[in-house]
Amino acid sequence: MDNAWSESEMKRERLKILLPSLREKERYVRFKVISEGPIQYSDLEAAVWNLFLDFYGELGVSELSLWLIKNLWDEKNQTGVVRCNNKSVQKVVAGLGVVSRLGDTRVIFKILKISGTIKGLKLK
Amino acid sequence: MNCFDLHVHSAFSGGESSLEELAETAKRLGYKGVCFVFYYQDDKQMDILLAEIERIKKDIKIETYLGFEARDLKELNFLAKKRKSFDILLVRGGDLELNRAACETPEVDILTHPEYQRTDSGLDHVCMKFAAKNNVAIEMNFGEILTSNKATRAKILHNIGHNIRLAKKYHAPIILCSGAISHWELRDPECSISMATQLGLDLNEAKKAISELPEKIIEKIKERKKKKWIMPGVRVK
Repeated sequence: MDNAWSESEMKRERLKILLPSLREKERYVRFKVISEGPIQYSDLEAAVWNLFLDFYGELGVSELSLWLIKNLWDEKNQTGVVRCNNKSVQKVVAGLGVVSRLGDTRVIFKILKISGTIKGLKLK
Repeated sequence: MNCFDLHVHSAFSGGESSLEELAETAKRLGYKGVCFVFYYQDDKQMDILLAEIERIKKDIKIETYLGFEARDLKELNFLAKKRKSFDILLVRGGDLELNRAACETPEVDILTHPEYQRTDSGLDHVCMKFAAKNNVAIEMNFGEILTSNKATRAKILHNIGHNIRLAKKYHAPIILCSGAISHWELRDPECSISMATQLGLDLNEAKKAISELPEKIIEKIKERKKKKWIMPGVRVK
């Protein structure tokens, strides 16, 4: 087909960087998981996504711009960061409050900080 | 912002966790004070509970309060007469007659989950007017949302939202509580506030519902413990 691009062409293809005023404003929510025992990132990811999809539905979650940031998960301190847009911070925090189990482990989410940048979360 | 959770059940009142576990978790989550709620048996039980609560207060360094929850009209009338001997009087909502009686009684501090096990919201505009007049706080119970799921949770959320809308219209006080029966059911105050904003409260109103209103109730407790206090609205000069 004429419009079928080769792999090398596809790799070169990139979106232009949006103007700051056109970009979605992001918020980062840093949380701590208080639990009966240590928990794995995979359990956290599955539980959070399932809960949000159950609670807000697919359309609702699409409006949150929700993303769990894997490389900011601190297994030792059981802290993590979730990203969302600035208009849905309250929805995301409320949703995290509804998570009561990660697998078979009972948990409580404690919100540590909400910031517009990862740097603002003061991660060490 | 000083946050309080004025509805927590321990192993003494049908819960799963000890007073220590509950107080420690509440402190860890950032609460300044917590009210342990019990069911009244006799004066001896009350003395034991008061001693326990004082011990927890000293050990864990968190403000603790003693609350009794009335489960029927008889119990409500009895506890209203003994009002001066404990801190907070709660009424277990769910029954229409009891919901109405609670709203009409000025001795009552909190009407807990008025929509409990109901298909409707459990409160009408008349109850809300009485609640506003008598300063009876209508509870938004997070535990109910937490322990239910799917269709039941949707109904509960709808009914809580309906009560919040009515309470706002008639200026009845709204309070956020966990209603936890285990320390794993306690929630971060931020999460409670955010949930309240999803159900119809503004952010400021939600913050007031977890900090300012409980503080007002605590002030009333202090006032009530003074010798001059006789009953709501009546005190010796």
